[in-house]
Amino acid sequence: MANLVRRKLVQSLGAAASLGPFAIGRSYGQAHKGDIVIGASQPITGIFSFAGVAMNNGLHDFVQWKNAKGGVMGRKLRYVSEDSGFKLDQGVAIFKKIMAADKPSFFYGESTQWVKAITKDAVASNSIMTSSTSLASVVADPANLPQHIVPGPTYPRLHEILMEYIARTSRGSAKPNIAYVYADTEFGRDGIPGGKARAEKLGLPIVAEIVTKQAGIDVAPEVAKLRRAKPDIVIFQGYILAPMPEFVRQMQEAGLNPQIMGTAWGLDRPAYEALGKLGVRLTGVSMYRYGHETDSPMINEMREYLAKARPEQKNIPPFYITSWLSGMIFAEIAERCIKANKPLQLPHMKAALESMKEWDSGGITGLLVDLSQHDIPVGRIYTYDPGKGTMEPASSWIKV
Amino acid sequence: MSEFVEYSLLGLLSGGVIALVALSFVLIYKGTGVVNFAVGEVMMLGAYFYYAGTVTFGLAPWIAFALSLGLIGLLAVAVERSVLRPLSGQSAVAVLMATIGMASIIHGAVEAVWGGDTYSPPTLLPRTPLTFGEILIPGTVLGNFVVAAVLIGAFLAFFRYTKTGIALRATASDPVTAAVLGININYSQRLTWVLSGLVGTVAGVLIASSAGLSPLLAAAALGVFAAIILGGLDSILGAIVASLIIGWVEALAAGYLGGKTRDVVPYIVVLAILIVRPYGLFGTRTIERL
Amino acid sequence: MRTGVFHETFVAEERLWDSTTTQRWMLAFTLALFTLPVWGTDYMLAMACIVGIHVIATLGLNITTGNAGLISLSHGAFLGVGCYTVAWLAKHGVPFYLTLPAAGFVTAALGVIVGLPSLRVKGLYLAIATLAAHFILTFVFREWEAVTGGVPGTSIPRASLFGFEVGGDRRVFYLIFACAFAMAVAARNLGRTYVGRAFVAVRDRDISAEILGVNLLRTKLLAFAIGAFYAGVAGGLLGYFYGAITPEYFVLTLSVFYLAAVIVGGLGSVLGSILGALFMTLLPELLRLAAHASSQWFPAVAGLLLPMQQVVFGLLIIVFLVLEPHGLAAIWARIRRTFHLWPFRT
Repeated sequence: MANLVRRKLVQSLGAAASLGPFAIGRSYGQAHKGDIVIGASQPITGIFSFAGVAMNNGLHDFVQWKNAKGGVMGRKLRYVSEDSGFKLDQGVAIFKKIMAADKPSFFYGESTQWVKAITKDAVASNSIMTSSTSLASVVADPANLPQHIVPGPTYPRLHEILMEYIARTSRGSAKPNIAYVYADTEFGRDGIPGGKARAEKLGLPIVAEIVTKQAGIDVAPEVAKLRRAKPDIVIFQGYILAPMPEFVRQMQEAGLNPQIMGTAWGLDRPAYEALGKLGVRLTGVSMYRYGHETDSPMINEMREYLAKARPEQKNIPPFYITSWLSGMIFAEIAERCIKANKPLQLPHMKAALESMKEWDSGGITGLLVDLSQHDIPVGRIYTYDPGKGTMEPASSWIKV
Repeated sequence: MSEFVEYSLLGLLSGGVIALVALSFVLIYKGTGVVNFAVGEVMMLGAYFYYAGTVTFGLAPWIAFALSLGLIGLLAVAVERSVLRPLSGQSAVAVLMATIGMASIIHGAVEAVWGGDTYSPPTLLPRTPLTFGEILIPGTVLGNFVVAAVLIGAFLAFFRYTKTGIALRATASDPVTAAVLGININYSQRLTWVLSGLVGTVAGVLIASSAGLSPLLAAAALGVFAAIILGGLDSILGAIVASLIIGWVEALAAGYLGGKTRDVVPYIVVLAILIVRPYGLFGTRTIERL
Repeated sequence: MRTGVFHETFVAEERLWDSTTTQRWMLAFTLALFTLPVWGTDYMLAMACIVGIHVIATLGLNITTGNAGLISLSHGAFLGVGCYTVAWLAKHGVPFYLTLPAAGFVTAALGVIVGLPSLRVKGLYLAIATLAAHFILTFVFREWEAVTGGVPGTSIPRASLFGFEVGGDRRVFYLIFACAFAMAVAARNLGRTYVGRAFVAVRDRDISAEILGVNLLRTKLLAFAIGAFYAGVAGGLLGYFYGAITPEYFVLTLSVFYLAAVIVGGLGSVLGSILGALFMTLLPELLRLAAHASSQWFPAVAGLLLPMQQVVFGLLIIVFLVLEPHGLAAIWARIRRTFHLWPFRT
């Protein structure tokens, strides 16, 4: 009988032990009452890690910088981020975890599918605004995603700006033949219909539309097809670096020297330097100023901060700027709500966002920003300057 | 018409590198019966070693290449000793999953050490293109094919005419008899793994030099499985012929249907051929006994 | 100390949970899960939902691969088929108790098509045929915009039962829990039917099975179909849980994840599927927790630990294969035996 009791005791202890790990709470860092929390699910590892590290650093550094300047109306910002590895399961789990544990007012996520997956919960919680790196047109939707902010123009808008620029610079002479080369991903495909529509409206002929796999390993047949179309302008979309140099090299070997254009994330240092080495002056639409430019107070602040905090980082990638900018927008929303004496809840924050019709982003984007449609439809054309080795502005800021 | 010829040529030539990767797989399957899903990752690791050698340590390209071959050879021996030996005799699923596990480890390690960025290692081969008429064959494609052809030719000769090669073939077809005849089975199987790794490294370096180096390189091996099945799992000649066919089909698909169909079309072709020839074009028809 | 389970009637012997202890534990476990929304945090609830979905999918794959020995690399894509079917049907107003079985049957039909090559090929050739199916299905996901919404993906309206919306994690959890429970019981039951025994016979020696009168083609096709059915239902539940999905979710890595869950859990066992799915789903969370904890005391380790997820994943698979080929189910059984036979050693 005693044996039976002992056995049952051991069994129940075992059962309790197996429940143990779930009871461990999570409390890291020092939380003060009144802190404004920014949560984030960043792809620090995984296939998107080249961007994820920069995105994480951008928001983290902004929070440090802003707190050093006194926070938001005296209240400190607190940044809580976790690595999602660009997997939806983990991204959503991180969202729920941080929502429960830290009660954030703002959340930054990594992908379009993440934004769509958490929207219902975000709206139901009534207490957060979200932002993301994704510039896909499906997330710039104030009606269906009232809590989401897109920190830039959507991909179709970028392509419309590009088409307008091409039309403007080719006025008088014959219309140039344009070829689209893009990757079979959302990053690649999203902007193309918008660009094509605008090109048709402007009478610009699109002579080829080449789609490649995301990892363009062997692109020789695609380049052959492109060569035959004899384009004057080639617009790349959806690539950070590869396979753009290979395309250019093979075209040059065939004696073709079209103008190379791109947008957004494809205009960063790896791209313009590699193409510059091949003698190409990369041109394209960027929604932010570059990190080396000196006429923007906020970019200067970023550079100063990085020089102190991350001296080994020589380049400010656009992923860094986009999350810093998102942080600025979050801080501005919080400030407007506090000034109006309203709690940080969705309806008030949304109203605050939509009241930002002429907000100064400190020069990150050129014009005063109008966020009433939850995005920033502004961009500027930049061209590579071989003398300086950087991208220089080639137009004024265009609003679409 | 010249379009078709150009695509076909490009495809056949790129089939050379596919043949290298297929060879890497078939060597192991024929020699040890193991289905190695980690060919892509080994290929990628070899390319990363080459990159580290040339760019990080500043060695001359050929020295770095030789070093990466050596390192991969060592890795192959280590893997064979630690993972495959304990698992010999287990079910096919188990061994398959072990190679998938290996692939995961290598992939994760590469991402941890080198990150997700794309690098451009220096090329080993000249880039002059070949042109006739409207057709242009890029230098890299031609160069890769020549290297692949030479290497495969060397392997075929090795297996036919050298003692070690014949010993490997003997071990592959009947290990028991080979052991009875005095061939060291363990050594042979280890050598097979090393050779497979070396071939994979060459393929990896070739691809990385022409297309850039990133963790996505490993995915290039997925298309090779279509070639392997088409040729027959255990036939080296089949792997080579099938790789050329798959390269050709892929190029035509990319040219006429667009690059996004590159993955699908070879597999559809393979499925179609499997209906007619279930063991692939050159595979041995296995007779099962109770 | 229990020396054995002794039955007094045939009916008692044939029961799925044949001893009082097992029955009591099952009851406790079911009650604990049923009341999870009460005592668990939102995060635990969400994780439980995801685990439930993966459990259903792993159960299916374990039937195809563990019981019938047919390696399937297209399981991830089957999930996608289920998800998109539910999305399309739900958009046309079909209620969830019809969409989920429909998704299951559509995916099962697709599974039969994918399994057709088993008419001619076997072993690795069949595995590569399933790989081909994966590529074809993912291509369709991205291109067939009318049904799947293409690369940007699609949204799935909330499940509703006579106007009662199954919205919010709590209610979806009950839906998933009910499905998972029912399907686990069904899978367990499959083992004691003719079909289940035919699967095992085909896996071990298919020629002998054929001689004994088992119709090889039908059995193999059925194995694929049932596995795909489970995947379809899991995919549908995935859709209801997330509310929106893109083709990026259904990649080859997902199929490998399920294969790993099957191996780590234990081939051919229902408990193995559940444990394997639980383990593989919680693994990234555990790693993150470890990285967080270690960053307090050993910051260097944390930086190394985060990217190591994939390495740990691969290492686990290999360690399990080398040290414990029968997976977590065998470890569980060993622990149970220790408790049963305590204080005597096993």
